[in-house]
Amino acid sequence: MKQAVGFISTYSSDEFGICSALYELGGMVVMHDASGCNSTYTTHDEPRWYEIDSMIFISAISEMEAVMGDDEKLIQDIIETAEQLQPAFIAIVGAPIPYMIGTDLEAIAMVVEGETGIPSFGFAANGMQNYTKGISMALEAITKRFCTEAFQKTEQISANILGATPLDFSLNGSVDSIKTWLLEHGIGVNSCFAMGSSLEEIQSASKAHVNLVISYGGLEAAKLLKERFDIPYVVGVPFGRRYADILANKLKNAVQTGQSRIATQKIHQNAKKRLALIGETVFATSLASAIELEYDLDVRVFVPLDTKAELLRDGDEWTSGEDDLNERLKDVDGVIADPLYRPLCGQLEFYPLPHEAFSGRIYDKENPDLINRDLRYREETSC
Amino acid sequence: MLKLAIYGKGGIGKSTTTGNLAAAFASLGKKVIQIGCDPKADSTINLLGGNPVRPVMDYLREFDEEPEEIEQIAKEGFGGVLCIETGGPTPGLGCAGRGIITTFSLLEDLELFEIYKPDVVLYDVLGDVVCGGFAAPIREGYANEILIVTSGEKMALYAANNIKTAVDNFEDRGYATVKGIILNRRNVENEREKVEVFAKESNLEIIADIPRSDEIIRYEDQGKTVIEGNPDLEISKIYIDLAKRLLEEE
Repeated sequence: MKQAVGFISTYSSDEFGICSALYELGGMVVMHDASGCNSTYTTHDEPRWYEIDSMIFISAISEMEAVMGDDEKLIQDIIETAEQLQPAFIAIVGAPIPYMIGTDLEAIAMVVEGETGIPSFGFAANGMQNYTKGISMALEAITKRFCTEAFQKTEQISANILGATPLDFSLNGSVDSIKTWLLEHGIGVNSCFAMGSSLEEIQSASKAHVNLVISYGGLEAAKLLKERFDIPYVVGVPFGRRYADILANKLKNAVQTGQSRIATQKIHQNAKKRLALIGETVFATSLASAIELEYDLDVRVFVPLDTKAELLRDGDEWTSGEDDLNERLKDVDGVIADPLYRPLCGQLEFYPLPHEAFSGRIYDKENPDLINRDLRYREETSC
Repeated sequence: MLKLAIYGKGGIGKSTTTGNLAAAFASLGKKVIQIGCDPKADSTINLLGGNPVRPVMDYLREFDEEPEEIEQIAKEGFGGVLCIETGGPTPGLGCAGRGIITTFSLLEDLELFEIYKPDVVLYDVLGDVVCGGFAAPIREGYANEILIVTSGEKMALYAANNIKTAVDNFEDRGYATVKGIILNRRNVENEREKVEVFAKESNLEIIADIPRSDEIIRYEDQGKTVIEGNPDLEISKIYIDLAKRLLEEE
């Protein structure tokens, strides 16, 4: 029962993380699931749904197909649709039912690819893992399959941005601001995995000199690009002014030295006031670093999502669920988190920071772009 | 790395065969992992002197979290064979097939093969390929080849045929293929001939012919394989010869 929640929302699932990461790349994405509640993806978690076309499908698996393990209908439906649409790739995404009956999605993808000649992926999502895992799986698979050629580097220093999805960065201009910030520091944008870039641009990722990892979901792709093309990566999101400048210097340093690094940092361990920041690892640790650089605050990050020890700063922690989080919030004076965390915060100061993967589109209009700009802290109001 | 999955009708002697094969590989100096894929979790017991390893599903049930180290769910037995049992859910509940897939996924996360670097991996699978979970050991990345254990009994041959048919259905999926048949004798009349008919119809070879042996039962009572009990016995030599052949043909 460690993951039980009674007062707060739950994060978007791995299925939706995959859909979100692949949304703009011209592929056909098939969620192999019963029709119904996965429309949540379109109604809550995908703000691009009405603005940008994408080939997202649900297989609508029936009770009898599940009992009989009838993969053939899925395979034929996909082949027939793909022949009409001619997508750049096909992604077959798992869900609770195929997970429970042990459907081999990778093998199905192999069969589909054999029949259509279109690159196909099977993703072992199950709807029980969170979206960060899905983004990670999707971007790693795209990188593994499509980023195979070593291109000549761009003349100007350039970077790929890895791990961009609206689930973490909304459509509030943050991703564009990251691109602008890079350009202001003389670093060109080679591609963005995966907002605002075509699959062709992503295929030529090896042209870049460095990779900027802006979420947990981009880390495995970054490691693969390091291994394959020796492109170093830097982990961090350029929040605030001072931290953004530091991050820019670390990117340039990585280009010079070829060394990858986690660019978040712990500044204050024992400040007079302690805040909790709840959210996705890279986003939250970067924002915490930026706040600590500007103010005399000890900002502890609590990550209720997939994370890695290497990404956490001193004092930051992974949390297993609502009860765990409740315990940890006893030691802080205030909380920065999605508004739907407010029920856990009682009388603590609360600074709402909407997170699309947690509250969907509800607070879209109140979701600030904090990239490379002054962070204003006012007690008991907002951040 | 030689990766074999052993299938066959329930009670036909898969675990006995697998355990003895594992011990035979080990006696030839090979580093071996045996993974029992049966909720009963008794595949490796004769490699462990009768002191079983904690099954993976038991660990998950008890601690409500995944193990962080292989040692928490594995135990070395005779000849250094690393023994793992998937185990299963509480009898009558849950999904045993799903348990196998979950265990395999967990072993991947723990980087079992990368860390332990085995020469041989043996998957001892419960009975027939009854659902997706029980096909997991023959999926890409797991076993390369399948050994079907059968006697000359009608129902054992029926199950063997089901297994062969299931594997043939997966031809376009890159799954393991059937290496051959192990005839585990039950002293049925014209036993060899009956199995040969099936082998011929299925275009398979009988790669070992194991006589019914009281020695096997005697050493099993002591929690041992015959290889451990007495490697010079004729029955032990049959397992060792089979292990040698499988290694040579890898």
